[in-house]
Amino acid sequence: MPILDTRDVTKQFGGLVAVNQVSMTVNKNEIVGIIGPNGAGKTSFINALTGIYKPTGGQVLFQGKDITGFPAYKIAKHGIARTFQNLRVFSNISVLENVLIGAHCRIDNPFHHIFLRPLRSKKIEQQAYAKVIALLKNVGLEEKKESLAKNLSYGEQRTLEICRALASDPELLILDEPCAGMNSAEMDTLADFVKKLRDDGQTIVVIEHNMCFMMAVSDRIIVMTEGAKFREGTPAEIRNDLEVQKVYLGEQEVE
Amino acid sequence: MMMDSKKRKWLLLGGLIACLLLVPMFVTDIYILSILNVMVVYSILCLGLNLILGFTGLLSLGHAAFYGIGAYTTAILMTRYDFGFVAAFCASAVLALVAGIVIAIPTRKVRGDYFCLITLAFGEIFRLVATSWIEFTRGAMGIVRIPMPKIFGIAIVTEAHFYYLGLGILIVTYLTIKAITDTRYGRAFIAIREDELAADTMGINTPIYKIMAFSIGCLFAGMAGSFLAVYQTVVTPSNFRLEESCLMIIMVIVGGMGRNLLAPLAGVIVMTVATEVFRSTAEYRMLIIGLIMILVLLLRPQGIFGSSSFKS
Amino acid sequence: MLGEVILVGIMVGAVYALVTVGYSMVYGILKLMNFAHGDIYIFGTLICLTLLTKYNLHPVLAILIAAIAGGGLAFLVELLVYRRLRAAQHRLISMITALGAAYVIQNISELNWGNQVMSFPSIVKSKFITLVGLQISVTHIITLFVAVLCIAVLILFMRYSRYGKAIDCVSQDMDAASLMGIPINRVVSSVYFMGGMLGVIGGVLYSSAYNAVSLGMGFRGTLIAFTAAVIGGIGSLGGALLGGMILGLSENLIGVYISSSYRDPLMYSLLIIMLLVKPTGILGSSDQAKV
Repeated sequence: MPILDTRDVTKQFGGLVAVNQVSMTVNKNEIVGIIGPNGAGKTSFINALTGIYKPTGGQVLFQGKDITGFPAYKIAKHGIARTFQNLRVFSNISVLENVLIGAHCRIDNPFHHIFLRPLRSKKIEQQAYAKVIALLKNVGLEEKKESLAKNLSYGEQRTLEICRALASDPELLILDEPCAGMNSAEMDTLADFVKKLRDDGQTIVVIEHNMCFMMAVSDRIIVMTEGAKFREGTPAEIRNDLEVQKVYLGEQEVE
Repeated sequence: MMMDSKKRKWLLLGGLIACLLLVPMFVTDIYILSILNVMVVYSILCLGLNLILGFTGLLSLGHAAFYGIGAYTTAILMTRYDFGFVAAFCASAVLALVAGIVIAIPTRKVRGDYFCLITLAFGEIFRLVATSWIEFTRGAMGIVRIPMPKIFGIAIVTEAHFYYLGLGILIVTYLTIKAITDTRYGRAFIAIREDELAADTMGINTPIYKIMAFSIGCLFAGMAGSFLAVYQTVVTPSNFRLEESCLMIIMVIVGGMGRNLLAPLAGVIVMTVATEVFRSTAEYRMLIIGLIMILVLLLRPQGIFGSSSFKS
Repeated sequence: MLGEVILVGIMVGAVYALVTVGYSMVYGILKLMNFAHGDIYIFGTLICLTLLTKYNLHPVLAILIAAIAGGGLAFLVELLVYRRLRAAQHRLISMITALGAAYVIQNISELNWGNQVMSFPSIVKSKFITLVGLQISVTHIITLFVAVLCIAVLILFMRYSRYGKAIDCVSQDMDAASLMGIPINRVVSSVYFMGGMLGVIGGVLYSSAYNAVSLGMGFRGTLIAFTAAVIGGIGSLGGALLGGMILGLSENLIGVYISSSYRDPLMYSLLIIMLLVKPTGILGSSDQAKV
């Protein structure tokens, strides 16, 4: 059973169809890349999956469960975590707090326990702290854990956002244009990091513009254009597909 | 011997509390004690308001209304229904909490500007109704002759007695809010303030958490109101004007909004001293408060101890 | 008598609209809730009072000077206080600063004129005529006429003058407007100035019609502007007019037929309901931010 199964997911804004009946699946432990030109609807599709938008049509099945139209926080609790195209770390608080917030829904500390079972409450919080420290160590941000997020370099902030998403032990991690603003060295590091995550068992969906990155990282690629799914295949198939090139580059004048 | 930083914090806190407890032994001037009592009341109010505004980013201009709900509840229960103080105090706290929930539920998804206006309107409605509903609240004359509180047989009579009572409530308020904000709940409130959408995607049910933060803040406002009722022995609508809500907001801002729970207390001290020092020039009171508001926000919006979130 | 109540309501509504327009335009451009709005125009109204009673100036001259004073005060507040906060990180910073400015102005007014209700001379001699069986005060008709005239002039100005178009551009997209060479600071200042002027005219009309003015009307005026703007639709002139009218009418109807002491709480409740149900107002459009 695929982890994620979207069936004809559609999102309409008045007259504009931003997402047009997109059906795709993601299997456990694979990296699926979504590519497409600007305005193809990639982020809108992701927003529809993660509860930021409510789909106007279609179904989203996550681990067999129908999560169509669920609010964002519920979808996060079910196990989908994401990063944002335009970087949304909590700039004014520390790196450590950012990731602790990411772990929020996995910290089993009900409100009344604060007063009725204070020792347990404290212990759970300490466990969360330890887990987050381990995560930060893994991505090399542990030394900067007390720094304010806005004082990190851009690349570090991107890493922080991914680390924050991982803090909730997601079954599915969605990265929305994680390479934006990176140079090629940083991109290589990120590609290795993403592949290692997959090797460690994580299932990932990546949206990106950057072809090299996608080719290097994805197990499977889905091409979107004008809100709809256009092509699907392995990186090699997509790279050699003329129609895909046309979608990106426009019709080439043959002289 | 290097002390663990956490232990150090608790030790400092303990020392601070001990000092505060000892104050009435060294300070016998009634005037100064009364100023301290005023500071204690505002401290309770501002700690609650900081949870709403500093942590969660909700601009409530109606905090005085919940203060008033607590005050009137205690006043009416003690004068008309012969309640003891402890029972009235609890009732005030509960009613203020419920009122907070009632306001927070329909406004839980409302945008910041509009939320601010709604709380302002609610504050005004409360004051106006308290002034007009003469059968219940005795209108502008207010409720008078509120009896002296008795806690487990001990009568609270002098300024020093009230100081201990108020300080006790303040300490409970502080410890409670600290306990809540040291957990994932405190972080969730901050996340909502910083970026509500991102908070949603982290499994935080933002509307529910907003209701939580708001109503807990109001709970403590109700407690402060209950204390005010027995301390002043009189409760009138003029105690709960928009100016009061604004004064609390400015205390929180001047002291510093955010994680540091003791920061708003600095604001309380500064503003109380300022208004006292200028008491002889009462006609300039609002001018000075207004100027302080403007200057602080222009020059140092994060206040004295506040988090950098609010730097411009 | 219903007819008379309605007529008074319309007159009050037109005056409210005058007062709301300035506030609404500022919010439309800067998304700033100018809490000092009411206190600014009451300041101007009080100046008019002094000019009329102490210096016995001709009413038109007094109103003109007072309006310029009010506009000037608004201009000053923007220049000294609001301008620096335009880039503030959190909107609540500018809102609370506006509150501070309101208090300062209130206090200055109080020092000069005191707290109590003062009598304001009628600019037009009170006369009653009977029309379609209703007793109508000529003062009210003239008040209505002047208010509507001012608003009409403003609407024409906004639509056909270059300045008006510049204001429109700035309210739609400040950055783009500035890149087009529109002098943002000048445009913003002129909006504040106009708002202050119109507010003073509205305040004078109101006080003249009711022969009373007091400090308390300042804060109440701000709330009126807020409420009318919310009802009609913030940022739009038509919205200010519509909101003002609705507010004036419902205020009078509620005050006369339901309860006069609960009139204000009911108005505030109306504001709350409006904010919950359709905060962008009757004529406003909803704005959706892109994720």
